[in-house]
Amino acid sequence: MSEFLETTADKFTFRVAMGRSYSPEGVWVQPETAHRVRVGLTDFLQQRSGDLAFLSVKSPGTRLQAGDELAELETVKVNLAVHTPVGGTILEVNKALDLTPEVVNKDPYGEGWLAVIETASWEVDRAKLLDAHAYLSVMQSQVEQEIRNR
Amino acid sequence: MTGDTTQVVVIPCSGIGKTYGTVSREAAYDLCEDLRPEGTMLVAVAKLVMGEEQARERIRTCPVVTIDGCKLMCASKLVTLSGGRVAHEVAVLDVYRRHKELKPEGIEELNEGGRKLARVLAEEVAGVVDEIRRTGAPSGGPHA
Repeated sequence: MSEFLETTADKFTFRVAMGRSYSPEGVWVQPETAHRVRVGLTDFLQQRSGDLAFLSVKSPGTRLQAGDELAELETVKVNLAVHTPVGGTILEVNKALDLTPEVVNKDPYGEGWLAVIETASWEVDRAKLLDAHAYLSVMQSQVEQEIRNR
Repeated sequence: MTGDTTQVVVIPCSGIGKTYGTVSREAAYDLCEDLRPEGTMLVAVAKLVMGEEQARERIRTCPVVTIDGCKLMCASKLVTLSGGRVAHEVAVLDVYRRHKELKPEGIEELNEGGRKLARVLAEEVAGVVDEIRRTGAPSGGPHA
């Protein structure tokens, strides 16, 4: 079984990593232990947003509720606030992105992760997230909308 | 040493309708018309796309500096595909990351930040052009 689902629209191919949960807004969540998750941006969100110029993630120790702003990013196209789909405390942020934010564009599901969060109520938050197949479907609708709006 | 007679070909991105493409072209104009008019030749990337023989000959015989607006690096790729060798390539975004205060906006007409960014970029590339003309190659190699 493939590690990724993918869909192609026009000249673009968007991948969705298996084994993770997703917010409809394009943030992935990967459980690492019972109370610890890693989060990042989906391939679709990074491609739609464009090449990253700057990225600022909230500091370790910051307590967040689901829906709070986790990061701000500036790309060649947009300034964007990224909201965490899980509540908890930030344990670690990807410091490599300070100097090389383009890693998010190159490897959104790997080296381009944003933060590790110690969750406050993971089971509650997880119930509101999508699995890879459901997110693929949502993403395809968003892609079609983008194409219609051109 | 090759002396100071080398003509350096400058090829900016053709990202029409894109802010960063406009910055690349403004920088190329600053460089070739103002900062180093004697040592540079501006070539439109569209001429390489069309296969114009004079443009192809120039990039085969002169060192080339490309200024790209995005990661697709069209100018750089087209030089290579057209048989030239890129002596130095620069991306607008990399320069902007070092000058966060100069946020470029606008397409047909850049804002002040964009114009300043183009100037900073042009001045940086002017230094590269000088080095190429002095030594035949930039110190940092083709992907510095």
